[in-house]
Amino acid sequence: MSHEEHRVSVTDLKFPRHTLVSLLVFVVCWEVLSHLAPTLGIPPFAIPSFVKIAKSFADITAADIAVTLARVIGALLVSFVLGLALAMAMYRSESLEKYLHPMIRLLMAVPVVSWILFAVLWFPGVEFRIGFVLVVVCGPVFLIDTLDAMRGVPRELRHMMRSFRPTTLQFFLKLMLPAIVPSIFTSWKVNISLAIRVVTIAELVGAVTGIGHQLSIAQELFSVADVFAWTLVLVALLFLLEALVARVETRLLRWRV
Amino acid sequence: MSGPPPIEARGLRKVFHQTTTGQAVVAIERLDLHIAPREVVAIVGQTGCGKSTFFDLAIGLEAPTEGTLRIGDRSPHADFDHFRGRIATVFQQDRLLPWRSALDNAKLPLELLGLSETAQKDRALTWLNRLGLGNFTNAYPHELSGGMRQRVAIARAFAVQPDILLADEAFGHLDEVTAVELRETFLALARECGSTAILITHQLEEAIGVGDRIVVFGKSAKLLADIRVTPWPKSKYVELREAIQSTLLNNSPDPRLNGF
Repeated sequence: MSHEEHRVSVTDLKFPRHTLVSLLVFVVCWEVLSHLAPTLGIPPFAIPSFVKIAKSFADITAADIAVTLARVIGALLVSFVLGLALAMAMYRSESLEKYLHPMIRLLMAVPVVSWILFAVLWFPGVEFRIGFVLVVVCGPVFLIDTLDAMRGVPRELRHMMRSFRPTTLQFFLKLMLPAIVPSIFTSWKVNISLAIRVVTIAELVGAVTGIGHQLSIAQELFSVADVFAWTLVLVALLFLLEALVARVETRLLRWRV
Repeated sequence: MSGPPPIEARGLRKVFHQTTTGQAVVAIERLDLHIAPREVVAIVGQTGCGKSTFFDLAIGLEAPTEGTLRIGDRSPHADFDHFRGRIATVFQQDRLLPWRSALDNAKLPLELLGLSETAQKDRALTWLNRLGLGNFTNAYPHELSGGMRQRVAIARAFAVQPDILLADEAFGHLDEVTAVELRETFLALARECGSTAILITHQLEEAIGVGDRIVVFGKSAKLLADIRVTPWPKSKYVELREAIQSTLLNNSPDPRLNGF
């Protein structure tokens, strides 16, 4: 084991003192502020105490979490398959790439809110609207990342592979796909974070289920405690999904130094 | 078994156009060359003389601009798929796939040929063992030394039992001891398998030590000399080396090469 590896592994095992201290300081400040709020002229509902937030946690419904999670995972899978397929087609055909690339850049420049408005105006079904917004936002990220990764496969490896005369399918399955796996994982991590944020906004606007919808209700009731609790659930979901991807990544990329 | 077919280049010409300027660069200018079955030929020349272009044409990855390059009665470029499993290559760098173990790297061309899993494993293991890597079959490339990685690359090439083996500066980047050892192993295995072997190199010692025949390329793969090594006694190898060096420097055949 090199010095660098040793240093990293020791750091990993360390007690997360800095994180805990900063969290504790935040919690104490929040709690103090929640008690001082009335004397400072701040409405009491704006900074609820942790006791109230804990009560909000008790009201959290698993069904809403499951619905949001299903929307995120479903849309990410569809986006990934579409992005990968289009990236492969664009890698194979230079003219297709020339036509599609400006369109993809254009799609990526459109704000999420505009997509939500388009979806509401174009489609009657709520699930399709949310799915559409997620796919149109996350799909291009998968596509561009995959295409860039394919172009980044070393010429020497492509040359070696071609010298053994693979079929087109073999070329993709034996070389291109394994070579772009690290970039695919990076893309998944970026898109999980993006999808969680986008699904919340989409649900906030047009859904009757899901975490976004619950946040909308909390806003109508002026319940900061509920907003806080549901936000923490979203953050926990994000960390959970990222940890899951990181675990698969470690397993699949164990060949890396 | 009929054995490997001859390789024949007639009026072979290859011109590239620079991407930025569009300017034509003649990599090979009217090359005529015949390589007999089972011959071990070393092609030497200075950097940029067209050796690697000839390598790419022989593999079939490039098409000639004019003239022909045929292996038997077929073109390696036009009849690309016909040569699957018949041509194998060893490159300057090992070019192993980093996500595959040594065994899986050696199996790669066999997977492409569609052999059964058992046949792939047996054959890959045989060649890894012959190259002294029996204890490292599960090691990833980054866990192996440069020489070991090149051995895996050689095992990968021999595993397909090719008619024609092409090696492009395959030992040039290794230390001298490892290079000599690998060169000898490569040569012994090529002769044992009855393959035609073409070694592209810029190292004259390597060319003299390996080839039955040395083909000296000048600028644009101009055929400066075609030397049979066998008639030269080992005591004259220094003179042969000097004669080839002089040929390369002066871009014309050295008179000493006519003595044999």
